[in-house]
Amino acid sequence: MVERLEVPPAAVPPADAGSEGRPASGSWVFVALLCLLLLGQFVYAPYLTSPALQTWSTVFVAICVQALPFLVFGVLLSAAITAFVPASFWIRALPRRAALAVPVAGVAGAVLPGCECASVPVASGLISRGVTPSAALAFLLSSPAINPVVVVATVVAFPGQPMMAVARFAASLVVAVLAGWVWLRFGKGEWLRARHHDHAGFAEAVRHDLLHAGGFLVVGGMAAATMNVIVPREWLNTLAGNLWLSVLALALLAVVLSICSEADAFVAASLTAFSPTARLAFLVVGPMVDLKLIALQAGTFGRGFAARFVPLTFSLAVLVSVVTGMVLL
Amino acid sequence: MNRLTQSLVLVLLGGAVLRITTVSNEYLTYVKPGFRYFLIAAGAAVLVVGAAGLFKKEDGHRGPWVAWLLTLPVFAIFLVAPPPLGSYAARSEEAPARPVGALTAYTPLTRPVTEMTIGEFLDRAWGDPTKSLTGRQVRLTGFAVPSKKEGRWYVARMQIACCAADAVPLKVAVLGFPSPAENQWIEVTGTWVPPKAGGPQPGTVAPELDAADVAEIPQPVEPYE
Repeated sequence: MVERLEVPPAAVPPADAGSEGRPASGSWVFVALLCLLLLGQFVYAPYLTSPALQTWSTVFVAICVQALPFLVFGVLLSAAITAFVPASFWIRALPRRAALAVPVAGVAGAVLPGCECASVPVASGLISRGVTPSAALAFLLSSPAINPVVVVATVVAFPGQPMMAVARFAASLVVAVLAGWVWLRFGKGEWLRARHHDHAGFAEAVRHDLLHAGGFLVVGGMAAATMNVIVPREWLNTLAGNLWLSVLALALLAVVLSICSEADAFVAASLTAFSPTARLAFLVVGPMVDLKLIALQAGTFGRGFAARFVPLTFSLAVLVSVVTGMVLL
Repeated sequence: MNRLTQSLVLVLLGGAVLRITTVSNEYLTYVKPGFRYFLIAAGAAVLVVGAAGLFKKEDGHRGPWVAWLLTLPVFAIFLVAPPPLGSYAARSEEAPARPVGALTAYTPLTRPVTEMTIGEFLDRAWGDPTKSLTGRQVRLTGFAVPSKKEGRWYVARMQIACCAADAVPLKVAVLGFPSPAENQWIEVTGTWVPPKAGGPQPGTVAPELDAADVAEIPQPVEPYE
């Protein structure tokens, strides 16, 4: 990476009037950071060896690195939707009545093979193209949980228990549609921050979303890595006996661990002390509400949105999981 | 954050991802090997978006402050340069996790010494009705984890499904051999010690291995199972 240093900071073009007369200060901060990085490898690196810090760093970088391909994919798809798919397409593709568009969009989530990091920018792109927000939100919630990759991963993780994958699919779809309907009935337009760069082309949208959503992904990754390192899993096993406590414990664990929806079934399978219903709650909550997703949603749609949407989805997911678990598992 | 800085941050991030996937194998510390080509594609895409921005004119468009945080993973990768999850992550003495994907058919062990993953050893020790491990020498690869209990230590390996955030520790207790240094990678050759009748349920405590030999080895390229 040393060669990147050769980008001469002197080549900064003069900033426009809009940049408040602070020409390129950010670039100098960047150069300072880069020097710190290069020097730090010799000066600081020998001291950064505490096992807790190293474990935290491994988990933090793992979450970011693992999410990056999905984020890039989601951002590219979102920009393509905004730039190349005409708004009239969505008007024809979705039922005109919003109450019908919500379940259709929820089911359509099954075609986006990715995890939750991809679905946030895509949903934002759909909204900016005139799709009813409640339908786009149903898509946002369902796609990380019911796409074929996740369903296959769940079947593989629970050998001999195919009902777990069925219950996960059903419960996730029901939560997504219910949340969409609740938002349709009670949601207000001003809670959802609109994108203000619709005019921008494909490349500009990709660049903005990468910087923006990527930054919030890092926020979520830091929070999730911290919880991952400091919450001992043994605490959980003491709660495994009680139905509601165990469901809530695993639902909260899904929130703090922020595991990618394509891998969470394997973690759920290893939580053998818990009832199938509690593990179902872990699988339903995880792709819809977790720390990195909360950060991404707050960044993309605004804090006012996240403050309302996150509690709504979490409680719906817990309730629907318990009911589905009692019926199917 | 002006346009040039935005571009530089993206170039730095894309370059870092390309570096840990092409120049070195560091990405295996964080994710499964199958992620490699996705990561190369994503890193290249980020690099191209950043590099393309370097040649565009400044337009006074301020980038989001939160984008500065994208430099943090790069700092963590090159400054902390964290090793794969080791004994700190596997330190719990509580019931070890049951490995995922338990076998249903267990082939008999015929060779004098059978190399197997710790996951397979746990499967056979806990779930095999034919007790195929009895009296057979096996060789396990992992890192050393000290135990609070007297006269034993663990050979452990983390199992990941996707990335290090979902890692679960798989552990086997080693008896009859002095403990190597914590986190030292080792090959342990030994024989399974069947649990005594009336002991704890299978799957609730680590199975035991009576060690005949412990050899120190360098860290494997792929640190996780």
